[in-house]
Amino acid sequence: MSGAELIALLPVLILALGATALLMAGAWWPRRNTLIGTGVAIALLAALTAGGCPPPVAEVSGMFSSGPYARFFTILWSLLAAMTLLLSPRYGRARRFPAGEYPALVLFAAAGMALLSSASSLVGLLVGLESFTLVLYILIAIDKTCPRGTEAGLKYLVMGIVATGLLGFGIALIYATTGTFHFAEMHQALLEGGKLRPLGLLGWALILCAAGFKVSLVPFHLWTPDVYQGAPAPVTALLSTGSKGAVFAALVALMIGIGRGLEALAPLLWALAAASIILGTLCALRQDNIKRMLAYSSVAHMGYVTIGLLAGGETGRSAVIFYLVVYTLSNLGAFGVLTAFAIQGEEPQNYKDLRGLGYHHPRRGSALAFFLLSLAGIPPTAGFIAKFNIFHAAIKTDHLGIALLGILASLVSLYYYLRPVIVMFLTRERDLCLDRGSASEHTVLGVCLLAVLLLGIYPGPLFDLIALILPS
Amino acid sequence: MIVPLEHVLIVAGLMFGLGFACVLARRSLIMILIGVEVMINAVGLALVGASAFWHNIDGQLLVVLLMALTSAEVSISLAMVVYLNRRKGTLDADAYNEMKG
Repeated sequence: MSGAELIALLPVLILALGATALLMAGAWWPRRNTLIGTGVAIALLAALTAGGCPPPVAEVSGMFSSGPYARFFTILWSLLAAMTLLLSPRYGRARRFPAGEYPALVLFAAAGMALLSSASSLVGLLVGLESFTLVLYILIAIDKTCPRGTEAGLKYLVMGIVATGLLGFGIALIYATTGTFHFAEMHQALLEGGKLRPLGLLGWALILCAAGFKVSLVPFHLWTPDVYQGAPAPVTALLSTGSKGAVFAALVALMIGIGRGLEALAPLLWALAAASIILGTLCALRQDNIKRMLAYSSVAHMGYVTIGLLAGGETGRSAVIFYLVVYTLSNLGAFGVLTAFAIQGEEPQNYKDLRGLGYHHPRRGSALAFFLLSLAGIPPTAGFIAKFNIFHAAIKTDHLGIALLGILASLVSLYYYLRPVIVMFLTRERDLCLDRGSASEHTVLGVCLLAVLLLGIYPGPLFDLIALILPS
Repeated sequence: MIVPLEHVLIVAGLMFGLGFACVLARRSLIMILIGVEVMINAVGLALVGASAFWHNIDGQLLVVLLMALTSAEVSISLAMVVYLNRRKGTLDADAYNEMKG
């Protein structure tokens, strides 16, 4: 590895080395708030470096790209880590998160997500995916006094290691057929007479199944509601946005140049998308716990994103990336509001706990309502534009059926997104006296709210940026 | 290469299937972890075979990386196992069923 490659990898190095430094500092000097603040600074520094320090080489060791696409996601995940850490000080104090380990693990997770999104070979894909999944196993169960956190950690661990096995075998099969790990060379070698080779197809199927586990597509979604419910709220915010977004970012990069191979994968993608949309929507309908409802709704959202992958092409890819950004902001905002409401480290989860919040905490209550409406896809929010693009891309590429299914499911989804909103604003009485929240939490909510609103009214600049960064 | 690639892949596939069956059938956490280990070793076998077939060192490099990844994974899993056993006194995966719906 040369010096130039190290400079190209600098943002990830800052995240990983900063995390190691925090881990060391935490051992001798366990001040939770200071260390979390330092973690935020490190994450912002990494984002700045990714944006302001142009990489001298386009690819690192033939494994990770350092092009504009990789840099875009490095910035996004670094900012996500910073916002997750900003949400954590009060919650972490109440739940007694270990001072050094918690910010260090969040930064490691961001480094892993950045690596995964910039993978340009299957080796990079495996290493990136593993480096943040391993961190999430610990983060989910980080509160050792909470039995639900333990159970959630166990469920994610068992599902996660099986997914690793599937991903590994898929990679091995593709390597056995093609003799290369590199995306671009792999696609050419996989096609034979315009068709995918059978072993290559099996490899692809295994990789998609493993990705399905990570982003919780039906039938691999079983862990999702329990993990969302059991994990601490800031960790759920990170898990539900970054870990899924990074996997999809890697899949988009992996599928560039797939050519005729997409036709062979289309039935599988179609089935995954349709099953996720239908089952996610139906299961979300009967939830009374907002974290579980968001979990099932995220299953449906991942189904929508899969429609974008299925559509493929320039429009499909840019729709997927736009959707990921908007979904990340809205979901982070929703879990951020729940974190800001938490008293003694217990966030309100059941709908009856939310009663009357719209009157007693009008700003955060309306913010939660706004984020839920964005997830539902109501016009002034960015969620509408994102969904519109996905369905537009699907209809343009003759996937009318699945687009209609998606539109229908979005209509049904209004019911379960509006239920907590109605509960919040219907009565003035309240059952719970919730916390006022801290300044750092309000900052994160403000940033998310502003971004979702701006992207909803004026999405043009982000689309131009996506068109610029998408490798062709 | 004396052994044809197909044979290596068949053995690896069988190993992978056995490991997966172990994960699905067993309810003890330790046995589930062992099943996953067998699956990952099958991956390693397939990679080494393919690497020899293509006269290309990349596959063997990935096996070394995979070993490092697996050891990290196993250490986290075993830490989790010790912690779960201390909390609940059982390693039966079915005992962890507080959350439903």
